[in-house]
Amino acid sequence: MSVKFRVELVWQDSDASIAESIFLTSDGRVILQGRAVPAADRQALSLPLEAALISVDRRLVRAIKEML
Amino acid sequence: MFLRNSWYVAASGQEAGRKPLRRVILGEPVVLFRTEDDTPVALEDRCAHRHLPLSMGKLIGDTLQCHYHGLRYDRTGACVRVPGQDLIPPSARVRSYPLVERYRWLWIWMGDPALADPAKITDYHWLDDSRWGAASEYLHVKANWQLIVDNLLDLTHLAFVHETTIGNSALVEHAGVKVQRAHDNVVVTRWIIDQPPPPTFVKVGGFTGNVDRWQIIDFVPPAFLRLDVGATPTGTGAPEGRRVGGISMRNLNAITPETETTSHYFWGQAHDFDIHNPHTTEKVVAQIRTAFLEDVAVFEAQQVNLDLVPNPPQTDINADTGVIQARRILDRLHREEAAAAPRAAAE
Repeated sequence: MSVKFRVELVWQDSDASIAESIFLTSDGRVILQGRAVPAADRQALSLPLEAALISVDRRLVRAIKEML
Repeated sequence: MFLRNSWYVAASGQEAGRKPLRRVILGEPVVLFRTEDDTPVALEDRCAHRHLPLSMGKLIGDTLQCHYHGLRYDRTGACVRVPGQDLIPPSARVRSYPLVERYRWLWIWMGDPALADPAKITDYHWLDDSRWGAASEYLHVKANWQLIVDNLLDLTHLAFVHETTIGNSALVEHAGVKVQRAHDNVVVTRWIIDQPPPPTFVKVGGFTGNVDRWQIIDFVPPAFLRLDVGATPTGTGAPEGRRVGGISMRNLNAITPETETTSHYFWGQAHDFDIHNPHTTEKVVAQIRTAFLEDVAVFEAQQVNLDLVPNPPQTDINADTGVIQARRILDRLHREEAAAAPRAAAE
């Protein structure tokens, strides 16, 4: 299947650890890779129950600061 | 603006001989030659007496004699003879530069000689590795060096500038691109799966159907770009690491700033097929040469516009991601070198 042009950005720290990916899509979106925040965490941390939340690694935040 | 504390390619090994060769590097005049025992030497190309390029002179043994008044300099840059007088003024010397011959190129260090560590020379072993067929060439480009770096980090231009050789539209419309950024390195990986091969790949690889094609661009600052490129028939497993039944090549680029608006472009092409056949090497190099001359026309046209209106606003697109990351590394290295310069002067 054809792949539509898109760019994946990956940050590699000096200790060789890799941050989760940032995707730039051909329709102009920036998509961050992370994990869905489970209902238990939302309850425990008083996070919005209905919002589309993702949890990201701190290295991804570093990657965003360095790369975007 | 140049990074000085870096190795750069000054010339190919065969360019330097017993006839002095002038080359301006990072805005400084340099003369290259070999001593009688074949050791390559790089000196400032400006006589300490009245500034004539020493490259206009001639070698007398291992000394370089100025064409104007006959002062002679040894390989360290010290003046060892002034015609008509016994006293040699202590100021009669020219700068000498660390120079290393490696991978068929001569590598020069234009910055602080105390920092010139040959272990930091970027690896281009493919150029003299017996497991590869390879050749290298030189282009003089009337454009800033960063325009060439930008070009090599964004290969979507192949679809438009090089449609008769190494490009086709699949590069833009059907590619997944991954940009891996490390502290001092950018790697741009592009896979084009199950698409027609470009004309050059048909000529040198004999493909008759669709291919899985890769382009892996490895950027090392300030201006070294090593491209791992190739293709295999679709479905044979190249994306999973099984490169069989196709072709693999290395496109090897080292750009040395001459001035802010001109560059020395050293490039080579290595191939892993039919490696002992010089006709194959020439066929591959000829295809790439054709493409690179198309690039040079682009660089020089860009520079003409940049000379008219310096630093105009520009728009970035997704395909520039690797370019932007490389520029960020270069900006940081410039800041670090500028900050270190006053400290080094004070010590």
